[in-house]
Amino acid sequence: MVGVRSHVTLNVNQAPLDIEIDHRWTLLHVLRDELGLTGAKRGCDRGECGACTVLLDGKPICSCQMLAMQVGDRQVTTIESLGDSSNLNPIQQAFLDKDGGQCGFCTPGFLLSTKALLDSNANPSEWDIRNGLAGNLCRCNAYGRIIESVKEAARLIAEG
Amino acid sequence: MAYNVVGKSVPRYDLPEKLTGESKYAGDIKLPGMLHAKVLRSPHPHARILSIDASAAEALTGVHAVLTPFNTPTGRVAPDLAILDTTVRFVGDEVAAVAADSEDAAQEALASIKVEYEVLPFVTDPREAIKSYATAIHSGGNLIGGEPLILSRGNIEEGFAEADLVVEESFTTPAHAGAALEPRVAVASWDGDRLTVWKSSRGVHADKLSLASALQIGQENVHVIGPTMGAGYGNKDETRLAAIVSALAKSAGRPVRLELTREEEFVAGRKRHSTETTVKVGVKNDGTVTAIHTITLMDTGAYLSSGPGVVRRAGQGALYLYRCANVQYDGYLTYTNQPSGGSYRALGAPQGHFALESTMEKVAEALGMDSLEFRLKNHVGPEGQPGERITPADQIIDTQPVEGGVPFSSNGLQQCLELGSEAIDWQGRHERNANQSGSRLRGVGMGMFIYRGGPGTPTNAWMTLNADGTLQVTAGTMDVGEGNSTAIPQMVAEELGVAYEDVKVLFGDSDITPEAPITSGSTATFSTGQAALNATKELKSKILAAASESMGMPANNLEIANGVVKAKDGIASMTLAEVAAITGQIRTEASLTPGSTDFIVNSFGAHFAEVEVDTVTGNVDVLHYVAAHDSGNVINPQLATNQVEGGVSQMLGFALTEQMLTDPGSGVTLNGSFLEHKGATIQEFPNIDVIFADVYDPVGPFGMKALGEPPNIGVAPAIINAIYDAIGVRIHDLPATPDKILDALDRKEREGRA
Amino acid sequence: MKPLEVINPSTVQEASQLAQSNGTPTNLIAGGTDLLDEIKEGVVRPDKLVNLVSLTEMQGINVKPSGLDIGAGTTLAELASHSDIIRDYAALAQAAESVATPQIRNVGTLGGNLCQRPRCWYYRSISFLCRKKGGTTCFAALGENKYHAILGGSDCVIVHPSDLAVALISLDASITLSSAASTRTMPVEKFFAGPDVNIMAENVLTPGEIVTSVSIPALPANSKSIYLKAKERQGMDFATSSVAVALTLAGDVVSSARVTIGGVAPIPWRATAAESVLVGKAVGNVDLKEVGEAAVHRAKALEHNGYKIRLTSGLASRAVETLLSQWR
Ligand SMILES: Cc1cc2nc3c(=O)[nH]c(=O)nc-3n(C[C@@H](O)[C@@H](O)[C@H](O)COP(=O)(O)OP(=O)(O)OC[C@H]3O[C@@H](n4cnc5c(N)ncnc54)[C@H](O)[C@@H]3O)c2cc1C
Ligand code: SF4
Ligand code: FES
Ligand code: FES
Repeated sequence: MVGVRSHVTLNVNQAPLDIEIDHRWTLLHVLRDELGLTGAKRGCDRGECGACTVLLDGKPICSCQMLAMQVGDRQVTTIESLGDSSNLNPIQQAFLDKDGGQCGFCTPGFLLSTKALLDSNANPSEWDIRNGLAGNLCRCNAYGRIIESVKEAARLIAEG
Repeated sequence: MAYNVVGKSVPRYDLPEKLTGESKYAGDIKLPGMLHAKVLRSPHPHARILSIDASAAEALTGVHAVLTPFNTPTGRVAPDLAILDTTVRFVGDEVAAVAADSEDAAQEALASIKVEYEVLPFVTDPREAIKSYATAIHSGGNLIGGEPLILSRGNIEEGFAEADLVVEESFTTPAHAGAALEPRVAVASWDGDRLTVWKSSRGVHADKLSLASALQIGQENVHVIGPTMGAGYGNKDETRLAAIVSALAKSAGRPVRLELTREEEFVAGRKRHSTETTVKVGVKNDGTVTAIHTITLMDTGAYLSSGPGVVRRAGQGALYLYRCANVQYDGYLTYTNQPSGGSYRALGAPQGHFALESTMEKVAEALGMDSLEFRLKNHVGPEGQPGERITPADQIIDTQPVEGGVPFSSNGLQQCLELGSEAIDWQGRHERNANQSGSRLRGVGMGMFIYRGGPGTPTNAWMTLNADGTLQVTAGTMDVGEGNSTAIPQMVAEELGVAYEDVKVLFGDSDITPEAPITSGSTATFSTGQAALNATKELKSKILAAASESMGMPANNLEIANGVVKAKDGIASMTLAEVAAITGQIRTEASLTPGSTDFIVNSFGAHFAEVEVDTVTGNVDVLHYVAAHDSGNVINPQLATNQVEGGVSQMLGFALTEQMLTDPGSGVTLNGSFLEHKGATIQEFPNIDVIFADVYDPVGPFGMKALGEPPNIGVAPAIINAIYDAIGVRIHDLPATPDKILDALDRKEREGRA
Repeated sequence: MKPLEVINPSTVQEASQLAQSNGTPTNLIAGGTDLLDEIKEGVVRPDKLVNLVSLTEMQGINVKPSGLDIGAGTTLAELASHSDIIRDYAALAQAAESVATPQIRNVGTLGGNLCQRPRCWYYRSISFLCRKKGGTTCFAALGENKYHAILGGSDCVIVHPSDLAVALISLDASITLSSAASTRTMPVEKFFAGPDVNIMAENVLTPGEIVTSVSIPALPANSKSIYLKAKERQGMDFATSSVAVALTLAGDVVSSARVTIGGVAPIPWRATAAESVLVGKAVGNVDLKEVGEAAVHRAKALEHNGYKIRLTSGLASRAVETLLSQWR
């Protein structure tokens, strides 16, 4: 029953963390259940919904579908690094202004995919937005407001 | 009417925390010493459990409790549902559960539980299930109630005799899953005899009652907390999961948590009921509808859940959407050995309206009438249906009436038809899509609908002016993602004359909120909102009375504006904090049974779609969608738009791609994943125009009516009728997946050639 | 998930030795996007995973005059966004872009894509011990088979799930496999093997063998390629049918054609009949309908997948039509 364990160093939100992990743990498990970073959600645990999205070296990935042992020295960015509710970053502010979420369960994942998209493409077309966010399901189907939110975020960032 | 807060797109109440990951959902709760549970599920569609040997599992290190039907409290979660039962009724039904140090340990322990089953005959086809000789899934037989639900007005035989033309069509709709992104989670913890449960919930008070009954303990010993909810869409009203963790926690003496996997969600969560419906319509040559007879066979699966409400609602469109003196609805609801059905946004209405509005399209075609014109001629008007009122004059009118002779409180259906058809350019549709060639063909379709408008069961709300001058609205309801925790404080703030930001909301905790029904039937904002409004009115008069005394001015000379009490004609004023400093905390309470004794309160709408069908791939692309709704006055336009767009997009799945599939030979669910149960992604999201009819309902709080579920109803009819317009084939069996479209095109081409 | 150990080798040689298991259930893991699914479902229960992610030998895209060498560890996102691939090997870029979601493409690798296991829902469920898992029944043959094969299936009617394989075969790519003892290179087409060869596998890999790279020859002058994929929804879906076509023109005449269809057979399927319809035809004389019909030559439907014949035929015609139109 007891799994094989190792000490590893994970780079989470710019900080190196020494942690002992069971080899079968996914990155999502480590973030949520060991580090208490519950902003990443478990919607499917199969790489099919994007609720667990985090950035790995700036690119969105499903943290549920990657073993923590495989992360290596790559940089992990989670929603907790964006901004807190009294100090929203421009992407979060745009999602608040345009109502880019209903139940909110998909929202952290959408925000991180949006960040990756806007980091590489400051002025995305609607087509770019749909493609960039295609790995995030919103079962409330708030997609219309999400698309508006991303456009608004691009605008807010451009304004500085 | 000009308001300060109502009608404004204030930000969603709880969105900031959702944007930062700070919101706590049930799955984020972690208690000291908490164990993790897993459920052993039946491999058989129907079997009796003769014995269970769990000794090997119990002996494993890290395992703290094993629950089987033989050591579980024997109370009922629902009339036909035990916590764990010695009969299992679908593949995936709960057999046993383990609490262990980790999920992995609990999962591996399941493998060492030995179960001896007596395999029973099973039936997964509802048509077979209702036969007298079919194996009985519960004592009392499979057909619920032993007979169909029959509802009628007038006399259909006479109606059909008057008809010049009779059209009859049959349709099927599949089971599909609400599949909220947040899986069901429950955490239970005991403090002596007192149980606290955190769960994804649609109603903490209903959950409390059900848990007390199942665990056979007093209601006062159950405390249910509904944390932020990762959506429900009508789902998540069951308590079986919570009862299992509660029993495990009791036996382990430690808190226990259980989170369903995504596959378990699809298998053991609850689905929209599959249906088979036949609609028969009689019309005169001038287009007058003389009779409508609808028969629905609905599969509730292994357990009843909300089946009776669902089969009832499947008939309402056929009974009430078209002006007609002679109507009848026969609803058959049956058990089968399929995974269980349950409540899912708009219950049976999408199934019923799909069949009705597809048939009406045929009727219009047979008459040679434009189908919009046909609907404008025949839709039910503000005066209601012909016939005599039966409900006694002093009684509240049902929101799903059968009788005629009762007017609607408001009815903006005609506006919806007019505004919507204009937005899609209905009149120009044939011209713009004439002479199409190539493999991508366009078409336009529509459908209209009626739905209960908001009044629900009795409910309560409290308003509090705290000693520091802050305000709070307290109710037992849940915000399931639809936004009632925003709309209700908006109404309260408007009534009181304060800013929206000044009203705090406390929902979803059975210990510290008053009784409220589950968030269902689009009733939360209407009903609990009305109660909150009544409590607010009382609070306001108390505040004014206190201020009047202290300011030495008559109360009717005072008003509250911008959070300050002031004289209407002078400069004297007092802040709410100053009032509270004198009065101390004031709490007002309101209870009510919402509704009207004079009117039917219903919501309406009409949906229009322009699609492009790719005749090579069978894919349907929705180019333009118009959703026109009469939901009365709109409290928050941005949230309302989100709600409508979301419902439309969600039901594109029902119309085009989603379906739960079980293997015919074994009853095993085959596609329990987001990859295979194909809901809409952002790529499918169409260009949607949302239109709200200009209606102010005289009964609803601030003129509003229900909006939560109606967006889901009109989608399948509009899409399927548009596909027909584009390629001349009618899909009778949802979803309209590419295989069905290609097969239908094949048939059409072969017939064309023959 | 049962306990397991992840081992990080530093060379392909070492990885291969580790993967030779000697009785311990061992799997290679690259991005893990496919394998973790099987492990979580309990369909595969390894004690050891040999991690290929950190092997630098298997990284990178090397552009040469004679063609491309692509390390098996290259991610799908890198393939889809590589400007040379987009320009010269359009079918491959389009196939990579069509896979799954951005998140999966950022992690999933070329090697993993070619070696991924079938998506047959009976195979992926522990409720069914089917032939591919050593049982005696093919549940799909008589069950729910709308996504299954219309060609080349007999004892097992899976369809091969890889999008990249279909494009690579039309691009005449070759694949290199390494083990501790040896290295061999073969056409990608020969890498895949149907149930008649080995019902438990979809390719010719031997234990311990690792896909290290794929090479694509430079296409002859005046060549173009395309990949079209039919799916039930536009976001995140496997192919119900797909077609990759590579054509070379000599003047106005099709001098060479490679047509491969996917999502319809246990291996990516070379549609040689369609190729012969095309070769030697003047562009203006290509009968698209005939091409489509030839693409599904000998196809036979199961109970629920008859639509795939019409679909594949139509898609093949469309692919050729679209590609030819790019010359105009
Ligand atoms: C939601 C979802 C949607 C998907 N949609 C698609 C789709 O539309 N089209 C598609 O083609 N795929 C799809 N996939 C499959 C996806 O997993 C692959 O496309 C991906 O490329 C696999 O790469 P990987 O590196 O993650 O493989 P892994 O999961 O690491 O490995 C897959 C298999 O290949 C073996 N393997 C890996 N690398 C090597 C190697 N170098 N040599 C030998 N064996 C090796 C592993 O042992 C394992 O058995 C989807 C997957 C998911 C989760
Ligand atoms: S098609 Fe192959 S994998 Fe699927 S059930 Fe049949 S034998 Fe098993
Ligand atoms: S939880 Fe990782 S993709 Fe769904
Ligand atoms: S807001 Fe509920 S899933 Fe997206």
